[in-house]
Amino acid sequence: MRLLSHLKQWRAVATEAKHVSFAVAKFIGLIHLTESYLCSSTLLHGPSMLPTFNSSGDVVLAEHLSHRLGKVVPGDVVLVRSPDDPKKMVAKRVLGLEGDQVTFFDPNRIRKHNTTVVPKGHVWIQGDNTYASFDSRSYGPVPYGLIQGRVFFRVWPPDGFGSVDD
Amino acid sequence: MALRYLNSFISSEAFKNAGRELTDGVPRLVKFVCCLQLTKTHLLTVVLTYGPSMLPTLGLTGNLCLAERISTRFEKLGVGDVVLLRSPDVPKKIVTKRLVAVEGQSVTYIVDPKNSDTSETLVVPKGHVWVEGDNIYESNDSRKFGPVPYGLLQGRVFWRIWPPKDFGSLVQSKGKDSVS
Repeated sequence: MRLLSHLKQWRAVATEAKHVSFAVAKFIGLIHLTESYLCSSTLLHGPSMLPTFNSSGDVVLAEHLSHRLGKVVPGDVVLVRSPDDPKKMVAKRVLGLEGDQVTFFDPNRIRKHNTTVVPKGHVWIQGDNTYASFDSRSYGPVPYGLIQGRVFFRVWPPDGFGSVDD
Repeated sequence: MALRYLNSFISSEAFKNAGRELTDGVPRLVKFVCCLQLTKTHLLTVVLTYGPSMLPTLGLTGNLCLAERISTRFEKLGVGDVVLLRSPDVPKKIVTKRLVAVEGQSVTYIVDPKNSDTSETLVVPKGHVWVEGDNIYESNDSRKFGPVPYGLLQGRVFWRIWPPKDFGSLVQSKGKDSVS
């Protein structure tokens, strides 16, 4: 009967589809693990890290090992989950670890200096462009646990290709 | 003579079979571990909770519980959920507390119940949550370290699997509005 032969064909297609989808799932899983634990690429945009990063969009590589091993030091550009909007990731520079004294311009009153000590378990992050950056000067020190990765290499634009270092 | 024995062993069928099993088994093991890690990070994980801060809900000596990660990712956590969060004081430590208020809500809490009755009220800022342990006398929570950014929440504890006499889902509390 034609129905039976159709069923047999469908069975072959189903087995093939199962194998292909397993292979695709394994591949996606591997990519995801690499991106979460080793190295991932991100598009940065916005004016808060000028002149280090362009406002129109830089593609950078970020590694996800340093913050797990506690090896983030002041001067690193890190990716941080925003304390204001948990869905948003921001890139800022770490200026102080716990216990450090940080001096900064108050964003509301330009002439006034403020000094604070970074509390335990927190870091102080600031954008390189202090005039257009919404950072720890506004929302205070952020818990270390919000750091997601460290930016170490720029891939695009081509004239900025190279490592990101101070 | 020992060398000859070694040579014959290395060229033997048993050794080659063992080598083949190893080269088959290692990728399978790696795939299994990767799969397990993905499940642990994005779906379901087993946690061991200990400490006095969540008495009587969670015992003093360890309780093994299941925690799911889907609610945190899709922001479906509600007041009264028992949540896992990365401690704002010690970033490597994961603590278990109850979610008492979300952003925008006003929370009234007793600052230091062992010594005095004074209470304070504040509004939870945007992007943050307020967590408290069920045992407010012995709990280091938002009353000490302030509202916690939502990004530090790691999962929701919903089922207890050890000790066996307590097997089952955790009792939901209505948070700050419950009558004690």
